[in-house]
Amino acid sequence: MASSLFFYFLAVVTTVGAIAVVAFPSPLYSVLALILTFLGLAGLYLSLHAQFVAIVQVIIYASAIMMLFLFVVMLINLGREEKRELRLPGQKLLGAIAGLAVFSMLLKVFLSTSLMTGKKGSFPPERVSELGNTQIIGNLLLTDYVLPFQAMGVLLFVGIVGAVVLARRRSR
Amino acid sequence: MIPMTHFLVLGAILFLIGAAGVLMRRNAIIILLSIELMLNAVNVTFVGFSRHLADMTGQVFGIFVITVAACEAAVGLAILIALNRDRTMVNVDEVNLLKW
Repeated sequence: MASSLFFYFLAVVTTVGAIAVVAFPSPLYSVLALILTFLGLAGLYLSLHAQFVAIVQVIIYASAIMMLFLFVVMLINLGREEKRELRLPGQKLLGAIAGLAVFSMLLKVFLSTSLMTGKKGSFPPERVSELGNTQIIGNLLLTDYVLPFQAMGVLLFVGIVGAVVLARRRSR
Repeated sequence: MIPMTHFLVLGAILFLIGAAGVLMRRNAIIILLSIELMLNAVNVTFVGFSRHLADMTGQVFGIFVITVAACEAAVGLAILIALNRDRTMVNVDEVNLLKW
């Protein structure tokens, strides 16, 4: 009972935060609303017993990446988005109808398919709490997923170099 | 125990809000934020399935998704700064030339 109340509270917080991200006219408020959404998602991960992902979500996502966004928003100093004529009459209504159509399609699929309940993996909750969530993830990253892990390293390196090259002041 | 469907529906809601943000807004920063929102919606599904199927692969892939999102944010914001230096705006529908 308590856990389902926790879930619904966090689900409402994340959804309201997500709507606020899209709806606020000023990017600064959007970034702050997205931080709220990410903290709610971290709570959801905790309720799913994914402690490592939850902590990474708080430290890396809600703090580091969002701080980068805030920094850029304040650096390039944009005001509010000015209203402009939409190209298509009733564009927002059409967008909402299309979104609801896709959502109802997904909902129908979720409700009508059985979600693979027969075969379970090798990490039931008791084993995870015995071995430790972080230890298991660390072991998997350095054994089964060592190649994607290395690829992530290359990707981060390319990302750093790309960001520096793109944002560098061009010498004329 | 929350049914798995609830997490899937929450993921779908967040993903569609993010997709709507990409399609409806003109400000490039809010478009980037909406992309982050969509990546997180996928993460909710990954971690939910990880719990449901008692398999840690979902959480490992959640970490990978966060890494990709970090790279994407860094490069996207660098592009925004470069754009903002040449012309002082970040509205995506005004950026319609491949060279300047």
